This record gives sequence, structure tokens and C-alpha cells, in this order.
Amino acid sequence: MDYKQSSRDIILGRIRASHPEPVGHPEVPMYAIGGDPVKNFTEHLESFDGKALEFASRADALSWLEGNIDLSGKRVYSSLPDYKGNVSDGDVTDPHVAHIVDICVAQGLMGVGEMGAIYVTDESLGLAACALFSTDLYLLLDRSKIVDGMHHAYSQLDLRANRYGSFFTGPSATADIEAVHITGAQGEISLTALIYG
Amino acid sequence: MKQVNQVKLGAKFIADTPHRVSHDRCLWAARMRRDSVAQRIPEWEEMRSLASQIKMHTLSHLDSYLEMFEEKLKANGIHVHWALDAEGHNRIVLDIFQSHGVKVVTKGKSMLMDECDMRPFLAKHGIEVYEADLGERIQQLDDQRPSHIVMPAIHKLRGDVAKLFAEKLGSDPDIDDPSYLNSVMRKDMRQHYIHADAGMCGVNFGIAETGGIVVCTNEGNADISANVPPLFVASMGIEKLIPTQSDLALFIRLLSRSALGLDITQYTSHYHGPRKGQEMHLIIVDNGRTARLGSEYWQVLKCIRCGACMNTCPVFRRTSGLSYDAPYMGPIGIVLEPSYNLDRYARLPYSCTHCGSCGDVCPAKVPIPDLVFYWRDVVVKQGKDQLSHRIEEDGMELVLRSATNLSHAEKLGLWALRNLPQGLLNSSLNPWAKAHTNPEPPKETFRQYYARKYNGNTKK
Repeated sequence: MDYKQSSRDIILGRIRASHPEPVGHPEVPMYAIGGDPVKNFTEHLESFDGKALEFASRADALSWLEGNIDLSGKRVYSSLPDYKGNVSDGDVTDPHVAHIVDICVAQGLMGVGEMGAIYVTDESLGLAACALFSTDLYLLLDRSKIVDGMHHAYSQLDLRANRYGSFFTGPSATADIEAVHITGAQGEISLTALIYG
Repeated sequence: MKQVNQVKLGAKFIADTPHRVSHDRCLWAARMRRDSVAQRIPEWEEMRSLASQIKMHTLSHLDSYLEMFEEKLKANGIHVHWALDAEGHNRIVLDIFQSHGVKVVTKGKSMLMDECDMRPFLAKHGIEVYEADLGERIQQLDDQRPSHIVMPAIHKLRGDVAKLFAEKLGSDPDIDDPSYLNSVMRKDMRQHYIHADAGMCGVNFGIAETGGIVVCTNEGNADISANVPPLFVASMGIEKLIPTQSDLALFIRLLSRSALGLDITQYTSHYHGPRKGQEMHLIIVDNGRTARLGSEYWQVLKCIRCGACMNTCPVFRRTSGLSYDAPYMGPIGIVLEPSYNLDRYARLPYSCTHCGSCGDVCPAKVPIPDLVFYWRDVVVKQGKDQLSHRIEEDGMELVLRSATNLSHAEKLGLWALRNLPQGLLNSSLNPWAKAHTNPEPPKETFRQYYARKYNGNTKK
């Protein structure tokens, strides 16, 4: 439509007519974050009410899942190739239906020690809606993928590679009523990181 | 047009002790947490300077960055729209929704959509918009604006929310536990999410280099709104742009720490295209921003909407955000709203004690205290100030013009204190008498005292 195109040109024209004096683009240093990144990660994640469990190997983490997730009576979605849930992609072709999921298991791609944040994408989650609608979310995380801080994280990630990429830091939360902190707002109510390796 | 009288509206809140005390306590706690996390980061002050420079750099090259941004957005499969003003924005949203037969929308927080009065506009066209953030939803159900940009219902007590939810959502009016109220919200929103035709949200940062948007939230509502429906529409002011992914790290490190004293938001989400089978739109909005860019107060555009200035402001903490009767409130509001509507918001720059705290905590170094003076100057020069201010200011100018005038004024003041009736001195004609009683008149003026004490040698 016409007005959209002309709005663009009008806005850019107005900007060109009113630019402030040019200011240079400063270099942002890669600020160091002190301490052991894995220890930092765990402490920060716990401060956001997340849980972190450590395992010697991925196989150990998976067998912990086998032993601790009861598939009977729960709907479990997993995007991992080596752990099967009981909800398949075919069951949730429309993300609106993903609210049926009780438990979601997926791969975390990177951890950030500074924050206790775990990077996930639409690809690693399989279907992002399953993770967001789940009650309990389990994210596997390779110990060697835990970086020091946000500067390190963004220097390694390629945000363009995914349509949706997010740092999840603990389960959803709110403090909108009298600033009382409540864990479990609209998204997942618990988040557990399974660190292996 | 009627001017918003923040002093009068704020006085009601001040008089309501339980609400005022809770509000002040919650916001001051956020300020204290902010200090404690900031102090643990040695480079904090350096980061603030860098954030300010990056914003100034982007704003001084905004045309080329916006062009780069648009090109990358399109390459990522995102539909890009440009809106000159609120009306244009709302029309674009309506066009998109009508062409997709949208009836139900779930929406994450967006100050910009509030600024555009989008919700009532869409409601008129039969589109139901459900605010999905708890605080925003409380305010929507109560038919009020958000009172804080990060904590929209922070002026309310739990009992207010219990009553509101009981009335509107059918919950138990006798349970005012915030956990229970949160679960009522969660349950209620689920039924809207699973029927939503479209999701919406605002934007914290746009990245020119990658052609994506970044949304920082705690509750997960924006992520659900973006990831569940087949249509996702986000709106962004032109000033939200930053050049690169590497710059983003700095802003993420500053944002939530400044806002709530927490290291990061629970969800820091990056959108670089629609998911399979979805359509994604981004509306880039001017609505007065280009005029600000060309003005003396252009640095107001550096604001990253963290709310730190509100949490620290002694006026805001005691009067609450609703008393500003504007989409943007508190310190940033009093220097931003006059640029939208000087007639309506001419009094806002006077709601300031000049403590300077807002400038000290702003993560992007918006010079709010300087801008308060800037706007007062504009207000006076354009004759939009109140008559009582005008009389006071003219009087002060006369008194302070010379030492002789000041000396006469001292004597006149002392004479008045001694001779005028108390009823007149403490009447409503004297604004000082609202909160003070006039002092006992001293025996002599300060000048007389000084001359007596030092034998007339005023140069001591």
C-alpha cells in the first residue's frame, strides 16, 4: 500500500534532516568475568530458582532422566535424539496444542556463567511452544559449552542462524504483585539443567 | 487543553498511606538491589558510558542503520512496515489482522503500543487483545494505564488485585496471596493462548547487523505470544536500534540489573524470522521520534526503558505512576511527555526535586536532570506555565537581581512576618503554608545580625 512505502521515505528523510553530530562507534571490550564459569553458572541459575545437576557423561544424564521422569500419566515431549518422550512432533503440529505437554526435554546449546542462562533455539527445542507451555523443563548442557559471560556468548553465537533463539534463565517468574517474587508465571514452572562431561 | 496536574493527582496517592508505603518500599528495594549488583561489576560505570556512546553513535547514523536493518529483516523473511504516527501504526496493525481474519490476540508488553492507544482502536474493530503480562493484564482489567514501565501494577496492593480478579475472572475474593493470584492469571491466559490468532509484543532492541529483534521478559508471555499463533506482529520505535550483536551484550548486561537489580530477565529472546508456517511482521514507528532527533533534547532517545529512574525518584515513589496521567511516567516521563503534547504535559517538568538521582542510575546516561531544566525553560518561554509559578519566578528575579533588592526584600519579609495577621500568612495564597507554619519572626535580618556580630565588617 502506498502510505507504507511513503512513510518509510518520509521517516528516513526526516532523520537525514535532523541527524545529531556524528559520534564514533566505541569498541566494547570483552570484559573478563572472574571465577569458574560452571560454578558461576550453577550459582546464578539457582538464584533464579533453576536447578543444576552435574553428570560425568551424557549417558549418565540420560539415565537420570529415565529414572526420574515418570512417563505414565504425564505427557512428555523430547527433542533429543537419544531420549524419547511420549508426545511426538505429529501430536503438536499446531503449536496451540502444545499446552498438553507436561514435561519437556531438550538440548541447551550454551551456558553463560555470568547469568546462569542457557541458550536454546527453535531447532534445539524442536517446538519452542512445548518448552514454553511445559510445567517442567529439562535442558541438557555440555559442560564445555559454558562460557564466562554475555560478551563471550554473543561473540560465539550466530543469532541469524535461528529464527528463535533465547537465553532461558530459570523458570518463568513474576513480581508484578507487590514485588513478591513468584516462580512459575506463564511459561515453565521448573527448569533443570543437566550438565554433563 | 487541560493540563495534567501531577501534584494534585499525586496528593491523593500520598494521602493513601498503605498504598504509598508499599509502593515506596517495593521501588526502593529494586533500587537497592540495582546498587548491589552494579557494585559487584567493576566495569559498571564504564559500561554506562559505552552504552550512551553506542546509542549516540546509532542515533547519529540512524538512516543508514535503519536501511541496513530493513534489508536484513526482509532477507530473514520478516515483513517490514513503517508508521509515521500512532494512527498509521494502528492502521497497519488493523490491515494485517483484517487480512488474516484475526479475532483474538495475546500480547506481550509494549510501551509503544500503549503510546499509540492501540488496544481501544482494535477493540472498536472487534479484535480482542489480551494483555499477557500479569501487571499489564491487571491494569487492562482495571481499565487503567500501566503505572510503571516495568512493574505496571506496582501501585496496587494484593487485596486490590484479589478484588479485581474475583470480579473479572471469578476467583476467590478472600484469597489475596500473590501466588494464588498468579495461578489464576496463568489458568485464565492459557485459554486465550490456545485460541489466539495472532501474538504481539514490543521490542527492547533491534540489531541492524543481523536483522532481528530482541525481547526481554520474565513471565514467558511474550515468548508464548510469539511462538504459538500463526501470526506474530511486533512494534518498535526507531530509537531501539543498536548496530551489532556484539553491542547487544553490553545492553543485556545493563538492562535487568538497572530495572530490577536482577542479572538478566528469565527470557532474553531473539527473533530472526517467522517459524515454519508463521508470518512475522515488524512495524517501525516514528510518532514524534524524528522531531526529537533534531532537537536539543535528542539524548532522551537513548532511553532503554528500564525504569531505574522511576525506582529512585523521590517524587515518583510517593505519588505513583498514575498521577502523571501519561504513557511514560516518572523522571523519563516528565522530559518525554512534553514533546508529545506540551499543552497537556507542561506541568510535568515541575514534578522534580532536582536530587539528580535519575541521572546517576540511568544505564544509558540520559541527562534527565538537564532535560528537566530544558523543558521548564520551554514551558516558561511559551507561556504554558502556571500563573502562580510565573508570579513566583518574576518575584524571585526581581529580588535576586541585586544585593540592594535582596536587602529590601529581607526587611520587607521580616516586617510582614511581624505585622501581617497569621490568618493571611498561612492562607492558601501562600503555597508554602500548605506544609509549613511560618516561623517566629527573628529579632533582626541576617544582614543586621552579621553587621552587629562583625562590627560592620561584612568582608570577614
